[in-house]
Amino acid sequence: MISPHGYRRPRVGWLDLVIIALAVAVVAYFAYRVDSVLHYRWNWPRVTQFLVRWDDERQRWVANLLVEGLLTTLRLSIWGIIFATVIGTIMGLCRISRKLFPRLLSRSYVELIRNIPPLVFMFIFYFFISSQIMPLLGIEAWVRRASPGSLAVIEVLFGQPRLMGNFVSGLICLALFEGAYVTEIVRAGIQSIPKGQWEAAQSVGLSRLQVMRDVILPQALQRVVPPLAGQLITLIKTSSIVSLISVQELTFLAGEVANTTAKPFEAWIIAAAMYFVVCFVLSVAFSRLEQRLAEAQR
Amino acid sequence: MPRRRRWTDELLTRRSPLIDMAQFVVLAGALIWLGMRGAQSMGYNWQWYRVPQYLYRVIDGEFIKGPLLKGLIVTLEISAYSLAITLIIGLITALLRLSQSFAGRIIARTYLEIIRNTPLLVQLFLFYFVLSPVLGIDRFWTGVLCLAFFEGSFAAEIIRAGILSVPRGQWEAGSSIGLTRFDLYRDIVLPQAIQLMLPPLTGLAVNLIKHSAIVSVIAVFDLTTEGRNVISDTFMSFEIWFAVAAIYLAFTCTLSALVSLLEHRLARSRR
Repeated sequence: MISPHGYRRPRVGWLDLVIIALAVAVVAYFAYRVDSVLHYRWNWPRVTQFLVRWDDERQRWVANLLVEGLLTTLRLSIWGIIFATVIGTIMGLCRISRKLFPRLLSRSYVELIRNIPPLVFMFIFYFFISSQIMPLLGIEAWVRRASPGSLAVIEVLFGQPRLMGNFVSGLICLALFEGAYVTEIVRAGIQSIPKGQWEAAQSVGLSRLQVMRDVILPQALQRVVPPLAGQLITLIKTSSIVSLISVQELTFLAGEVANTTAKPFEAWIIAAAMYFVVCFVLSVAFSRLEQRLAEAQR
Repeated sequence: MPRRRRWTDELLTRRSPLIDMAQFVVLAGALIWLGMRGAQSMGYNWQWYRVPQYLYRVIDGEFIKGPLLKGLIVTLEISAYSLAITLIIGLITALLRLSQSFAGRIIARTYLEIIRNTPLLVQLFLFYFVLSPVLGIDRFWTGVLCLAFFEGSFAAEIIRAGILSVPRGQWEAGSSIGLTRFDLYRDIVLPQAIQLMLPPLTGLAVNLIKHSAIVSVIAVFDLTTEGRNVISDTFMSFEIWFAVAAIYLAFTCTLSALVSLLEHRLARSRR
């Protein structure tokens, strides 16, 4: 059978042997270069000690830099997707509005953000946010006045209180950035609802707002959830970019660990592996869930 | 309108678009004014007149490239080289995924999963701190290779979808006249698939230009790096960042327009 459409019986062909030989050769060449040319000394425990550490005072294991960074990354991503969804829903509704003005507004927001490099966007916005919006929000003063009880809550929700200002500015950048992508998801979700739904709702005398709120949006949201879940995974990856504006998430702290231990190979491999595990597990889980939902609806 | 009509189109108002455009202009003006006022309250001194000399200068009738223009050329170079390598990686990966070899499919899947589930920035650091000393390649090519491997995962899916969209009868007809698998791909399948792949691959080029900004992190002298250098020399943060963003926008928007043109053409030819 020659077309790739059909069923293939697994068997070992000449191509397999060539590929396996190539892969082995590449790995061997790497090992040779690392060992004999660079004289690199692997020292995994030197870096893995930054995953978790034993706290003598509290008598238990606590997160060290790398796990701390992963938690910050996850906090950033979850808050980020929440805010991006809010922005995206508003902008997505603007995108299909009857009036030209909201359409112009949301269209230019989406196009502007999708066509500028994320890095350049972060640098411009961070500069703007840290100098203009952060003093306006007054978060740092608020954290300083907070009681110990609310500080504990803040620590769970946002990470270390003293880094809160930094965290929030990274979060605003990310949410504005991802909002543009969520806008398109929401728009596609609303436009995927069949026209008949709209006509039926109008023919029973609902107003435009009621049609949107009671008929279209509930159905659209259902369709929006799977791509939004995918967007969360994208956000976890995109969030690494805020390390460049010194938000202390996984990529930033992995860089710190690589510098202090002088073991860049291990540090970056572990950081990449941590991202991989989180994103891979989430993507498998989401696709399982989606399958189950699809079966349940049938 | 050549675009397919959607039901939301029927909600469009019949009001004159001039009012809305005016509203939009007023809003944009207000935002710019707010930004300017904020900058002024920081004691920011706008110096737009100093920006062009960082793009180019003409001295005694001789054209001299400024840092921003040089950076732009490097950015385009990086994008062009990585696009070429991306296509090769994408084609190989797509063919391996469609091949009958189980080792090929495993390798292609592993590559795709690793690239898809790690951030580009971390991949760049892996390339820069691990691969580049091990293989002894310089920063420029480290950046090019990293971008190519990243975009290659998208190219692979685009090419695979393109190949699978060629109807099965074409394969069967080709093999029934005795073509080998190689000839079949070269003469029958790929020429038909390329038409379909062209719009998304152009979109990939847009992404490549955008993502190439990330090589500024490893100090390759691209547009973003040059912009940052000029800013640290002159403290004109806003002017230079806006100029840099505008240059990127000019290229990405032109290419995006090309994508929709290609899609439009394709949709018409298929009808």
